[in-house]
Amino acid sequence: MSEKIHDRALQLIAQARVEGIPEADSTWLRAHLEECEFCTGHVQQTDRALRSLRSASIQLPQGLASRTQFRVRLRAQQLREREPKRRAMWLACAVSWAFGIASAPYVWRLFQWFGERTGVPKLVWELGFGLWWTIPALFLVVVVLMEKVGQGSESDWMRQSR
Amino acid sequence: MGDEAKSIARGLQKRDPDLLDRLIEQYQYRLFRYLVYVTGNKERAEDFFQETWIRVLERGHQYDGRSKFEAWLFAIARHLVIDWQRSKKPQSLDSLTDPEQEHPLQLADEKDPSPLHQVLSQETEENVQASLQRIPAIYREVLVLRFQEELQIEEMAGVLSVPLSTVKSRLYRGLEALRGALQGGAAS
Repeated sequence: MSEKIHDRALQLIAQARVEGIPEADSTWLRAHLEECEFCTGHVQQTDRALRSLRSASIQLPQGLASRTQFRVRLRAQQLREREPKRRAMWLACAVSWAFGIASAPYVWRLFQWFGERTGVPKLVWELGFGLWWTIPALFLVVVVLMEKVGQGSESDWMRQSR
Repeated sequence: MGDEAKSIARGLQKRDPDLLDRLIEQYQYRLFRYLVYVTGNKERAEDFFQETWIRVLERGHQYDGRSKFEAWLFAIARHLVIDWQRSKKPQSLDSLTDPEQEHPLQLADEKDPSPLHQVLSQETEENVQASLQRIPAIYREVLVLRFQEELQIEEMAGVLSVPLSTVKSRLYRGLEALRGALQGGAAS
């Protein structure tokens, strides 16, 4: 029997277990296995290996689930406590933006008036107006960043305590 | 995906504590086994196990119920392990995950003789334990996902964030390594 035939059989043996093979290939492989001792041995070794893998069991540490459930509930409580603060922050931002949009024409005029009175170049007071608009967004970014830093140190603490 | 996945997704959106308790109970064995095989260390697997469920709580809204829950769960666990590995040894993610590289994913310390022995139960054949340790973690991982967890290749590609062809090639190599290792040869 040629080397190529064995190679094909070995490839099909693996393929059948990894992703499956078409019926025609399966028929060919069965016929080949009936007359090839080497490839039949290969099938047996492969199946034995997979059986061993499937039967290998792991012992769960005692109380793993309950310890995890406790930690998850604790974290859920922390997240719930943080929720109203977050909502209030988003609400404050939304109100601030709504107010900003409504008052923009007046504020623009105020900046213009101030610029003319103090002789500040147009570009400078226009930039000032733009900055005034970004204040709520900047505030939000600072709060979110502070929260992230808080979260980071919290998980470090949790890791150390284990 | 089935109603089960959808209902899990809805529960996770609401951070339902009872659902999380149930999921932890239901998937504890499978997740822990996966983590033990990937990290090769019981204590580390336990840490990652807890961290994974915390992440499930925090990121639960990202699960849409269109894929199997376990595939999403394993992906979270895997990312945690990779993040930890990256912080431990600063190197690129590619070199950690690409099996064709000179040093493939070695989450478990291959020189450490005993961690898997400690956790694989006594009834298991001795040579299976030894053989599994001889297989590089990157192949052990796909073997576990395919033949123990019985994930589809497409689902595995999602968990591992690699193309289907990569999953298949790792599976073929892993299968060959397992067979060779059980025969007592230097398979890896």
